[in-house]
Amino acid sequence: MDESTAISRFSKGNSPFRKVVLSEATIRFIILGIFLVVLSLIFSSRNANFTSGNNLANILGNASVIGIVSLGQLLVIISGGFDLSVSGTVPLGGVVFAIILNKGWSVPAALLAAVAIAGIFGLANGILVGFVKISPLIATLGTWYISAGFALTLSDGVQIPFDDRADGILSARTVFGVNNQIWIFLGISLVVTFLLRFTVFGRSLYALGGNREAARLAGIPVSAMTVSVYVISAFMGGLAGAILASQLLTGSGTAGINSALQSIAAVVLGGAALTGGVGFVAGTLVGVIILGALSNGMSMLGIPAFFQTMATGIVLLLAVILSQFRKRGSFRKSEQVSSSKSQPQHPTN
Amino acid sequence: MMIVDHAGVTLNNLTKSYGSQKVLHEVSFSLNPGQITGLLGENGAGKSTLAKILAGATTPDTGSILIGNKHVSLQTPRESLAHGISFIPQELIYVPRLTVAENICLGRWPRKGFVTSPTQMKTFAESEVTRLGFDLPLQSEMNSLSFAQQQTVEIVKALSRDSKLIILDEPTAALNNDESAQLLSIMGNMALSGASILYISHRLDEVFSICTALQVLRNGSLVFSGDASLTDPAEVISHILGRAEVQLEGRRGNAISQKAVLKIENWSRQQYPSLDAVSLEVHEGEIVGLYGLAGSGAEVVAQTLGGLIPDVVGMTFIDQAAVTTPRSPRHSRLAGIGYVPADRKLQGLVPTLSVRNSLSLLIMRRLAKWGVINAKAELANANGMATDTQLRARSIEQTVGELSGGNQQKVLMASRIAQKPRVLVLQEPTRGVDVGARVELHKLLRKLADSGTGQLVVTSDIEEAVQICDRLLIFREGRVTREFRDLNSETQSAALHAAGGM
Repeated sequence: MDESTAISRFSKGNSPFRKVVLSEATIRFIILGIFLVVLSLIFSSRNANFTSGNNLANILGNASVIGIVSLGQLLVIISGGFDLSVSGTVPLGGVVFAIILNKGWSVPAALLAAVAIAGIFGLANGILVGFVKISPLIATLGTWYISAGFALTLSDGVQIPFDDRADGILSARTVFGVNNQIWIFLGISLVVTFLLRFTVFGRSLYALGGNREAARLAGIPVSAMTVSVYVISAFMGGLAGAILASQLLTGSGTAGINSALQSIAAVVLGGAALTGGVGFVAGTLVGVIILGALSNGMSMLGIPAFFQTMATGIVLLLAVILSQFRKRGSFRKSEQVSSSKSQPQHPTN
Repeated sequence: MMIVDHAGVTLNNLTKSYGSQKVLHEVSFSLNPGQITGLLGENGAGKSTLAKILAGATTPDTGSILIGNKHVSLQTPRESLAHGISFIPQELIYVPRLTVAENICLGRWPRKGFVTSPTQMKTFAESEVTRLGFDLPLQSEMNSLSFAQQQTVEIVKALSRDSKLIILDEPTAALNNDESAQLLSIMGNMALSGASILYISHRLDEVFSICTALQVLRNGSLVFSGDASLTDPAEVISHILGRAEVQLEGRRGNAISQKAVLKIENWSRQQYPSLDAVSLEVHEGEIVGLYGLAGSGAEVVAQTLGGLIPDVVGMTFIDQAAVTTPRSPRHSRLAGIGYVPADRKLQGLVPTLSVRNSLSLLIMRRLAKWGVINAKAELANANGMATDTQLRARSIEQTVGELSGGNQQKVLMASRIAQKPRVLVLQEPTRGVDVGARVELHKLLRKLADSGTGQLVVTSDIEEAVQICDRLLIFREGRVTREFRDLNSETQSAALHAAGGM
């Protein structure tokens, strides 16, 4: 027998039949990695500064804010939804952070306030989607407008500069001269990776996104899970907003208003499916970095921002089209497998 | 009914390969006008590929197709339709928000220029439906119809095109007995009107009740071709499998333990399908079957035990201890009930999860400490379950969506068996799986019973019920009306009769 070897053989450690089967995710990851390398080569051939340590830190530093939002977005997308309201919770987090700091509170307290207020909107999303059963598009569109409007109201439409410059700590360079926001981003990435790969929570999330009814029948608390991912996404939004404000040394009701579409683009670029049940942190990370490198490199080459926006769209579509071709290829393969699968003569143990 | 003189369709040496894999190997047979031909074979035997070739969805590498004695080219679905070949796939393709009349006329709406005429369309649909002897709500939206009605619409669509050949791929897999019987009689009428029918099915009883000719595929080759009246199910099964069917052994008959693992007392429900003071017991190591027509209440018992229906009143005992009747799937699991739902695609499996993860879906908490899953324990569980169920897959990391129906059903059952439930409740345990997998699944249930797990099997397949159960309870209008012990081949017709069918 060839591919259709009974699994039971593997368990006996008898694996001459085992083929190295790369998962869809791994292949996507490799393709993206190659793409990133090619992109870097092109940019550095035009401008040697592109690959300088300073610029790479720059790219990562800028990507961290949207990266943190994307990690929250990833959880929501795996669960089968998506979160537009981060376009409101990011500016809101920044504004709240600035206001509280200017009232003389400590940085941790201000951060906590920013995350908590954003979290309220996450809770609203979760209840609307998980219990009231409103579609994620409508629910998070509504809370996006509300939170974005709230941020503008709080800031009165103007920027709120920090009274104390030392409050830029979240984006300052401390350990090894790397911006703190990068450490925060990498730290959260590790936590989310662990969550998705090794915990009951992560597994339940994949099940929920892959087939909600089957997950419910398996005894997974699907509505509570839904609430939790939207709350986490909003927390990430609030945190990202605070970091962004810290970077700019000012809270602004308009900073980060593109977060929703940027983060969804990064997550999808990183191999997640909007239908739910599929997605992984490493892919999202590369997605975020590709988008960051693209805008950084094009700025260095003096390409106008309008073209950068178009290029982002083209890259996103290319990546998704590429994965479609792969799916068709694997469909054909699985057809072959199923046709050789049930030969009754073959020994089954 | 109008009699049309149709020419037959002849398949001549059809061969098709995907890569190095031959899925069809020099298959030849004829489909005669007025005849229903049954096409049988295990999953992967090549039935679907053959149907797809006829429907123009894929093309053969070599070989030809003749209508009458003319060679025809079937490169695209459009060409197939033009030659009068209609294919009704297992998963229907229709436009949900259009009306029945609009769906019947789909793609050829009566029109003037760019404007269609709803009146003409309705008249056309109405005349076709009456001509063919159906009754359909023409102005209703397609998605408000039952599955059986939707299928009827597809059939009307096919017939109103004056099809010479109609191919049906497992049309009764998702139908209840009444609906199946209705569909089978419709197929009989279509044949009478002169069309050729190619009927693909796993249900041997149905095949033998309506088909005149049989074709059996195994590994892409035609291994049997002949008259249905000159053979019998046992012979056909041996052709499908390439060996004789193994009879199940070790049925307990009367030697069942007296210890009840599940007891329900006076279960009642007002809403349809209702229950009226139903009481029953499942003993340790016993397989109890529940059989009834749709709406008889048999499936309500299973769904309630699975935690899907929260409005049944009555007492429930697990291992002689009173428990609250399950109010949610979680509740059901905690009470020690394993529940295998009827529809593995919609309710049972998460297609994107790997085999390994699917097998631990219900026991994650048991395998975890502080919410972190023990990977070694998970792998051990998955390997053990895969071996026990003789699961066939490329690897334990393959996603379940890629497996064949029979192997998916094995994963579904194994994920519930992994719970080590006191009682396992199964709905339609072998729906839509091939004969080989069916035998393996039945053996699995018997083995599980031997190790002491009580089972409650709700099935609409009376043959299955008689084959695997120690005891069979007949449901009718919300009550248990009859009990059969010592099941044998005569039980089948007696049970059907008692349930109120046929």
